[in-house]
Amino acid sequence: MPKKVVTIKNKLGLHARAASQIVQLANKYASEVMIHSNNMSANGKSVLGILTLTASLGTELIFDVNGDDALELLDKLAELIDNKFGEDIED
Amino acid sequence: MLTRRYLTVQELFDEQAERLKLVIIAGKDGLNRKIKSPRIQKPGLAMAGYFAQIRAERIQVLGNTEISFLQTLSHARCQEVLDAICRASISCFILTKKLSPPPELTRQCNKHKIAVLQSALQSSVFIRQISTYMEEKLAAQTSIHGVLMDIYGRGVLVLGKSSIGKSECALDLIVRGHRLVSDDMVNIKLVPPDVLIGSGPDLIRYHMELRGLGIINIKDLFGVAAVRYRKKIELVVMMEEWKTSIEYERLGLDERTTRILGIDLPLIKMPVAPGRNMAIIIEVAARNQLLKESGYYSARDFDRKVGDQLTKKALTGYEGDIRE
Repeated sequence: MPKKVVTIKNKLGLHARAASQIVQLANKYASEVMIHSNNMSANGKSVLGILTLTASLGTELIFDVNGDDALELLDKLAELIDNKFGEDIED
Repeated sequence: MLTRRYLTVQELFDEQAERLKLVIIAGKDGLNRKIKSPRIQKPGLAMAGYFAQIRAERIQVLGNTEISFLQTLSHARCQEVLDAICRASISCFILTKKLSPPPELTRQCNKHKIAVLQSALQSSVFIRQISTYMEEKLAAQTSIHGVLMDIYGRGVLVLGKSSIGKSECALDLIVRGHRLVSDDMVNIKLVPPDVLIGSGPDLIRYHMELRGLGIINIKDLFGVAAVRYRKKIELVVMMEEWKTSIEYERLGLDERTTRILGIDLPLIKMPVAPGRNMAIIIEVAARNQLLKESGYYSARDFDRKVGDQLTKKALTGYEGDIRE
């Protein structure tokens, strides 16, 4: 199963809008996505699930993607988080 | 998977000081010690010199018997046995019934950094209360992507891939008067020996996400009777896309099960297709579960009727319909 560790870089952390961006991206792919953080796990296609991780700035998330299009999705997810969900543009 | 299989003495104190009427009386440096077993120990035999069964990382409860026995020992012997018990890396000592610790106990515990707590409860009550608490706290647990509903008092866990319509189905059930425990994510705890209790994570409790509508609060919208804090899980319904290649259960004669935290639960595989109202089907599944629990299996009863009919026909050679 392809895995990737990504650190939250935007100031606000993984808030509702950010979580919905992850879900929208994940839903474009057939692969199953699990996100693990601090002994907690959530389905990457569930906004509420992702929010229970309460991942703030600096939190490490492990993305665990399983399916035919897993590698591409994994790259896109990492890119989304590395780009701070399009926030914090000024700094 | 939520895996947290220990508790520190400090956490026990913070959460249970009021309920168990606890105070810390010595060994403050030992508050970060771990408790790994929900079972407590009374170290009576250890005090008499038999140390083999003293278990590490357990709570040692000292009642009237233990304390009065310690007082019969000479000062040196008392130091010796307490030293040996402390060396077994126990979690902490808890004295019941507001008993005061002998000076040797305080000294040894401060030396070995083991906390000494005191409860105002008497031993039997204290042990019962703390065991219930510890069993719940140290229970095996996991979290699952799914919806947990209370339907006619039965805990029904609905599983399935995202966007298959679990939340929509749950909303339908809520409108029909059933109660939501959790949507999207269910935390499940094993209460020994075989009960699984599901509840929602604090942050998202009673919330639901529906495509097109966004995040809604079921308790606010439908009232307190539409939700439940937690529920024993009694039936699992797996929603899946209808695949023509798969033959779904047509008779209901064979009981399927699924395993969660090592416990087998009845499982129904439910194909989703246009024109199938999932909420009503799941509601009927819960009714059928109630019937089964009361010892009546519709499918088996029906099968028996068919069998009887066939035997009668074979015996009489009659071709028409046989009425009872």
